[in-house]
Amino acid sequence: MTFESQLALVPLAPLLAALAIAGTRLFRLSAGDAAERPTARMATGGVAVSLLLMLALDAAALLKGLPHRVRFGTWFASGRFELPISFALDPLSLSLGTLVALIAFLALRFSVNYMHREAGFHRFFFAMSLFSAGMLLIVLAGNAALCFVGWELAGVSSYLLIGYSQQSEIATDNAVRAFVTNRIGDAGFLVGLAAAFYWIGSLEWREIGAGAVRLETLPAGVMVLGFVIAASAKSAQVPFAPWVARALEGPTPSSAIFYGSLMVHAGVYLLIRLEPVLDHSLAVMGLVAGLGAATVLYGWLSGLVQTDVKSALVFATITQVGLMFLECGLGWFDLAAWHLALHASWRAYQFLLAPSYMHLVGGPAKPAPGWLSGRQWLYTAALQRFWLEAAGDWLLLRPTRGLGDDMNAFDRQVVDRVTGSAEPARHLPTGPERETEPEAVARGYGSAGRLLEIAAARLARFEEHLLLQGAGGRLARALVQAANYLRAVEALLERPRYLLLLVMATFAVIL
Amino acid sequence: MGEGRAVLHEAVEHLEHVLPAQAPIRDFVHHNTLHGFQHLPFRQAVAAAANRIGARGFLQLDEFRGHFQRGRIDPEDLRTALRAVAELDADAPLEPRLGKLRREDVFRAALLYDLNPITPARLRFEIEELRCLERLNAQVWPDSRSRLLKSAGVAEADALGDLWSACREALGIEYKVLHPEELTRVDAAGICEARSRLEADAYGLLVRTIARVGEDWTLRELMRSLTGEDLMLHLQPSLLRHLGSHLDQGLAAWHSPERPRGFYQAWRGSMASDLGWGLIDLPGWRAIIARLPTGAVDAVAAHLRLLGLPERKWADYLERLSLELPGWSGMFLWRDHHPAYGGFGDIPVGLTEYLAVRLVLERLFAHGMCRKRWQIEPNLEEIRRHFHHHPAELLVRHALYNERLPEHLVTLARGLTQQATFSIEQLTDAAWQEAAERIEAWRCGAPDGRTQDASASGSAWQLFLLCQHLGVSGRELRRVGAGAAEGLLRCLRRMDEETAGYVWLLAYERHYREQIFGALVANHGRGRRTDPTAVPEAQLVFCMDDREEGMRRNLEEINPELETFGAAGFFGIAVNWRGLDDTAVTPLCPIVVTPSHEAREVPQCGTENVNAMHERRRAMRLRWKQRLYEGTRRDLLSSALMIAAAAPATLVALTVKVLAPSRIGRLALRLRTGFDLAVPTRVEFEAPADSPLATPQQPRFGFTDVEQADRVQGLLRTIGLTSVFAPLIAVLGHGSTSENNPHMAAYDCGACSGRHGGPNARLFAAMANRREVRGILAERGLVIPEATWFLGGHRNTSTSAVTWFDRDALPPTHAAALAKLDADLLEAARNHARERCRRFASAPAAPTPLQAHRHVIERSFDFSQARPELGHATNAAAFIGRRSMSRGAFFDRRTFLISYDPTQDPAGTVLEAILLAAGPVGAGISLEYYFSTVNNERYGCGTKVVHNVTGLFGVMEGAGSDLRTGLPLQMIEIHEAMRLLIVVEHRTEVLDAICARQPALQELIGNGWVQLAAKHPDRAEVSFLEPDRGWARWAPSAGPPPTVERSADWFMGHSDALPPALVSRSAWGCA
Repeated sequence: MTFESQLALVPLAPLLAALAIAGTRLFRLSAGDAAERPTARMATGGVAVSLLLMLALDAAALLKGLPHRVRFGTWFASGRFELPISFALDPLSLSLGTLVALIAFLALRFSVNYMHREAGFHRFFFAMSLFSAGMLLIVLAGNAALCFVGWELAGVSSYLLIGYSQQSEIATDNAVRAFVTNRIGDAGFLVGLAAAFYWIGSLEWREIGAGAVRLETLPAGVMVLGFVIAASAKSAQVPFAPWVARALEGPTPSSAIFYGSLMVHAGVYLLIRLEPVLDHSLAVMGLVAGLGAATVLYGWLSGLVQTDVKSALVFATITQVGLMFLECGLGWFDLAAWHLALHASWRAYQFLLAPSYMHLVGGPAKPAPGWLSGRQWLYTAALQRFWLEAAGDWLLLRPTRGLGDDMNAFDRQVVDRVTGSAEPARHLPTGPERETEPEAVARGYGSAGRLLEIAAARLARFEEHLLLQGAGGRLARALVQAANYLRAVEALLERPRYLLLLVMATFAVIL
Repeated sequence: MGEGRAVLHEAVEHLEHVLPAQAPIRDFVHHNTLHGFQHLPFRQAVAAAANRIGARGFLQLDEFRGHFQRGRIDPEDLRTALRAVAELDADAPLEPRLGKLRREDVFRAALLYDLNPITPARLRFEIEELRCLERLNAQVWPDSRSRLLKSAGVAEADALGDLWSACREALGIEYKVLHPEELTRVDAAGICEARSRLEADAYGLLVRTIARVGEDWTLRELMRSLTGEDLMLHLQPSLLRHLGSHLDQGLAAWHSPERPRGFYQAWRGSMASDLGWGLIDLPGWRAIIARLPTGAVDAVAAHLRLLGLPERKWADYLERLSLELPGWSGMFLWRDHHPAYGGFGDIPVGLTEYLAVRLVLERLFAHGMCRKRWQIEPNLEEIRRHFHHHPAELLVRHALYNERLPEHLVTLARGLTQQATFSIEQLTDAAWQEAAERIEAWRCGAPDGRTQDASASGSAWQLFLLCQHLGVSGRELRRVGAGAAEGLLRCLRRMDEETAGYVWLLAYERHYREQIFGALVANHGRGRRTDPTAVPEAQLVFCMDDREEGMRRNLEEINPELETFGAAGFFGIAVNWRGLDDTAVTPLCPIVVTPSHEAREVPQCGTENVNAMHERRRAMRLRWKQRLYEGTRRDLLSSALMIAAAAPATLVALTVKVLAPSRIGRLALRLRTGFDLAVPTRVEFEAPADSPLATPQQPRFGFTDVEQADRVQGLLRTIGLTSVFAPLIAVLGHGSTSENNPHMAAYDCGACSGRHGGPNARLFAAMANRREVRGILAERGLVIPEATWFLGGHRNTSTSAVTWFDRDALPPTHAAALAKLDADLLEAARNHARERCRRFASAPAAPTPLQAHRHVIERSFDFSQARPELGHATNAAAFIGRRSMSRGAFFDRRTFLISYDPTQDPAGTVLEAILLAAGPVGAGISLEYYFSTVNNERYGCGTKVVHNVTGLFGVMEGAGSDLRTGLPLQMIEIHEAMRLLIVVEHRTEVLDAICARQPALQELIGNGWVQLAAKHPDRAEVSFLEPDRGWARWAPSAGPPPTVERSADWFMGHSDALPPALVSRSAWGCA
């Protein structure tokens, strides 16, 4: 066991702390004010362990140097594919790991007093510990799969903390929205993972970097595009940006480290990690730069009109993160890394001081430049945040919801009737039940006779239902119904969402 | 249109009664939350507010029950409180055959236990899982238990089973367990009857539903009850952006170019270029917007007409509308009523404009909903017509969105509404009809469907529990018959939630009042100086603030040779003050006063150069600070540079700030003052004798000699300091410092409009030291000895640090006295800190005075501390009288102490002025705390941790909520919500005469917004004023309070509210 193998403990300590907090709450070991201390100690202790280890590793790396990668064994292996548990120890991971641990530790210490006697005290520390573990995993993971685990942990804890005020409809609504937007990014991440696995055969960052050089443009592009989508969603770049402004419902310290300081930079970290891959895909670099530039404009203009501190700060944050994207897109990855670290430190501080913003600034903000301030249209656009969210709803949410509703209706009106498993209420008569005992058609003796009897009864019923009842019979009704369905399908096809679906399906087939 | 305008104008004026009247948060001043209802008696006002605003005005019954368990209310208090509410007639016997039981017993059971109806499912759970038919309720008192078992004469399980059936028999209720789905199965006769009834039901429902709009509903509520969709969710985000932008006090850098034309115009200008409308599914939005009138008033009238609302309902409609976002509406109203506030950009703010926008938006979204579903306009008549033709649809929709239907019916009804909204084919009435019948069938069959009251889980359950608590057995119940059972329930229903809350409040108040009176009576004569002519070592004048009670007591314990006074913390000097670094004047006086004079702080002669440098450096420091905090969020590229430059230092600062807050806090303070350079200053406040008359409208600089003498004399007479003067008289204003606290102003001096009161103390001392002033005073018969020196100071209530002003002018003869006083003050501050620490959960458990002092200092510097200090929390009483009345007793920092000498004021003229000034201030603080505590969700502003400072004028929760007003949870969590008990040291006749003269006091006292008691100046005798019955002489019900040597002996080891005790150490004063 080498010294650097302690590294695994870094993300593990906060994770264990989170589990321990969950455990003590589950068994209700203590309650009231007295219960706060153990929870706070576990949470801060967990991250403190990470911080101390990181500092020790930093010292070791400086003094005697450390290998850039540590491997703890195999997560799983199947055929030619193997997924090791590996961590990165290069300067990028080491420095960011230390920063993350430090800021998380400070935010947790801050919260001990701040969150005193909150109904969600334990929930908060649980989610914050979970987040610390996730964030540390993201920056320390040696391969994309492990990084993805951290990515998801951070996403889930973010969801838990936006919805901190469980009783508030706005807060829970926003939590869901942020979560769903992030799922798009996760889908991108998965595409990246699958592409790397398929074309490169390994998920190790180093090998992805090395392997990408040998890839053709299309596979490399698909892979890196997936990761870029993931990065843009997590770092709230245009067009995914709106979720982050909705994420400010949680307590101040969580807003500080999620959206001011740490999680919002995860996307930038991912881009820096993928530097060798990006370097070989000029088009994607251009895309990253474009997204960054668009976000800078979006964030800056929208930031100018914000009238509440947290929103103003979060727009300032995504503006800076947009700048980092732009820097990455231009190939200045080192600059972006420095920018990231400095910005994370400052913004954590500024966010934690947000409640006293009123007392920190002397007077009103410097007014917007003259060429801008008189433009009504641009002002409205900035105030409405360039309608990104409404446009997203219009493009994606509404068609999807419509599709869902139609499916539901189809289920209820077609599938249920055909399979006969309608909800019980439909079978409950409102009037007195009709006694409909079928008449006996024939009577037989013995087992053969019995069989004949059953067959006769069946045939008789078939005849009665299908043919004898004429226009009101089953067959006629079924035919009328079929015609109705066809008409409905035709009507449905006239709607744009189905047209869209059809077009998409066609493309899928062609591709 | 003219008539409509008048109606609208009146309606808008009327809104001030229901909307919160909180000023922008930087100018936070405590005020009665229900100020708009103050003309009513307290109980009626609370009920009226509950009715109009929809917010409960008493603690929840469970919280009161908790206080009962903890001994903060005892059975005797409840007994007295029940009798105080005359209409309850608590002494009346219940039913002759039920033994000695009286109505009081029923009321007590209702107060102490939850006897409310439960849900059928819960009843089933109680019976099957909790075995409530076999075991007596665990809360039943032993004597009720034995009474019941004795009268039943059988085993417990049998007795209870019998009681349950007796209850049901008495009320004629059957109990059967049925699954909801079985209930839709009814017989043919039933369904026919139901069908004929359905239509009539629907028409009745339709009339009621439409009529509610403009009574207690807006269009939003109507749409919600018909479609289940809340249009507020759609319009809120965009609306809040516009609202914030219009009211902004300088947080944003960019505002609408049309902002100076008023909110409605600015919003309309923005609407035209808003692409967002095209992206949401709103048919006809273009037409609606194109037709908008140009004026806001016209828009309001036009939209109310479009809605089809009769004019007589407009006022109520607008009230309901404004109460949907009370915080934002209230801020618009406040700005509307304070045009002089100006604020950033001096933007016109009108409540009507806001209401106009709300109405337009409401209509827009309602229009979309109505079009999509019924192809009609959102107009009451059209909606009525539609449902008149489709009655079954109304029934189904109403049941779905306003009732709790069983799951299978929800599925059915929701399917229909979805089909109606999305399907291409029109839904036939038959489908609705069928669903309506099914719902009706369920309702008729359900044991708790049609009549909630007469059901097993309703009245039978209530009676069952009540009988257990009364100790009435089934056998007994049968014997007295059904009529008596009904009587029991009727009696129980008289104790509704509102009455119960009021009775509990009376009991709660009485409990503490008894303790206060007991202490005051026991303390009579103990606080008096044995030799009234002996000169104290020093005299200190504090603010009347409840936090100073602890400080004064501790000071007197340490040095009994000191004499302390309390007065409203502006010390009678209402002034527009301009400190050395201020750019504008600040009024320092109670909020109801407008100063006529101005005074300022200037550098001392010969220090002009230092001051010039100070100004330069300070300006530079602030510029960089602004760049750092504001530039890093507002700017684009320069902010990246600023961030990069600041970040490394920040990381260090952040680490130290979190780990050692007070160390870095003090270091930063030292560095700051070192950099800025300290400038020796003096105050400038004199005006020549021939100056023009100063009025609030035309304030003038300075006070003439006579005006100064008036003010000095005024305060000294008020506090009764007219003869024995100590050589050193310290006057201490106060304020508080804390970090990261948007509600900072709420911790400062209430008598200085939520600001620091130091300058007033400084001005007072400077005036009183002037030879000219003393000359005039001597002519008036108030002789202040030559040797007496006044010293102004400022006390930080958070750190307990005292700063003296103009110390360099102190005659050298007084230096020793001041050094001694400083030492006493420091020791008192430490002891007081220990007393404060007992209420902080995060303070060390049993701290030494020094540790405790360190802890409170650390709190004030700690930016993670949401409770830097506890402010006025726990304030409960106000004493107006000589210090001898309260000196020598421990009042737990819960009393305002106002010095007043009744022996010098037999007619009560001075008292009248004190009551007029201090009464509203004290009541404002107490009532704001009261309402924020009893209902923090509606009257307070919830938890601080999710607060988000908005526009530099208020706080929201997160980034898109209503503006939150009132006090945060962290400020009130240990507050005991009761009305202020004012005890005046004077005869009752004098008080009566004063109240009769002053309508303002009549309102406050006569309407029960505060409680009033009188302590006889010469006798150990207290009388209490009961608003509708007059004065009643108080008789002690318990022994005298315990006596301890020092305060610490009483409070150490306790963290809860403590009753008063006598403290022997401080009692005898200047012996």
